[in-house]
Amino acid sequence: RHPLATFFHLFFRGSAIVTYLFCDWFSNSFVACFVTILLLLSFDFWSVKNVTGRLLVGLRWRNQIDEDGKSHWVFEAKEVSTVAASSEVEAQIFWLGLIICPVIWTVFFFSTLFSLKLKWLALVIAGISLQTANLYGYIHCKLGGQKSISRTTSFV
Amino acid sequence: FADLADMSLSGDITVEGEITVPVGAPSPDEDFSTLDEPVRETIMRDLKAVGKKFVHVMYPKKSSTLLRDWDLWGPLVLCVSLALMLQGGSADSKEDGGPQFAEVFVIIWFGAVVITLNSKLLGGTISFFQSLCVLGYCVLPLTVAMLVCRLVLLAGAGTISFVVRLLVVLAMFAWSTLASTAFLADSQPPNRKALVVYPIFLFYFVISWMILTFTPQ
Repeated sequence: RHPLATFFHLFFRGSAIVTYLFCDWFSNSFVACFVTILLLLSFDFWSVKNVTGRLLVGLRWRNQIDEDGKSHWVFEAKEVSTVAASSEVEAQIFWLGLIICPVIWTVFFFSTLFSLKLKWLALVIAGISLQTANLYGYIHCKLGGQKSISRTTSFV
Repeated sequence: FADLADMSLSGDITVEGEITVPVGAPSPDEDFSTLDEPVRETIMRDLKAVGKKFVHVMYPKKSSTLLRDWDLWGPLVLCVSLALMLQGGSADSKEDGGPQFAEVFVIIWFGAVVITLNSKLLGGTISFFQSLCVLGYCVLPLTVAMLVCRLVLLAGAGTISFVVRLLVVLAMFAWSTLASTAFLADSQPPNRKALVVYPIFLFYFVISWMILTFTPQ
């Protein structure tokens, strides 16, 4: 039902990983690769958080700050009574993409650390945090279910 | 109503409980029929929010609505542009400016995180990401200073150019610090304001130092 959303869900994450692996082929400049991958990761974070989660699996998580400055993390889940066959496939693609990519970035983290190419470390850490944030948010939505799914975190 | 006026509550009252959000609540996408329309609206809404914040940094007045709607796009854009402009400015830049670029990135983000942690530990009421947002957006005057410095350096690198750059950087540094303290210091109890302002001062000082000591090779 949402082929464009599915495409974009995988496109930004996949391009970020591909660019990181093959950056030497594309360009000699470290800065160009760094900025490109960072932009791809940011677009991926935004689109997965705001668009593809909402459309593919009906989940949404966000941060809301009320009048007295308290921040709430809100996790919403749409009640799905019937699951059509096409949206099953989309949901599977969504979750697979969501889970596999942080794992890949963690592998990159260790490979960067042990090969001592430390200038890439900042980027890999940024990638891990952005993708893990989405993963954590959506798992929280999924596990929230019908019970109270909104909680106040006083620290963050 | 004199009696009601006397019924003031002093002290903090802790309220605990749970809030249940009904799962059947209408989700935001049920009104939209096409895929493109909501995405474009979401993008425009976010872009407008980012633009509004940039304007707010240039004319800082305390506004709680600005703080509530945080985002990190502005800080990202500013950080990338500042890092791009600060490339190749150190004495031993034989490489392609890689380490300096990552260094600027790390300094800005790590510095902002440390300041945020500091203000949280001092008992501030502002949230983690709000504080990162404000600190990031208030780098805007310094980015403008960097731009001006690069233009001045195109004209020459003598004493006059140094004085001009010094004045510009000082002015923008003061602007950044004042803008961020206008937003952040209010969330602290009054006897701790100095403890919060000092790390912010130091943070922007380090960035201003990097800008002022930049000499292109």
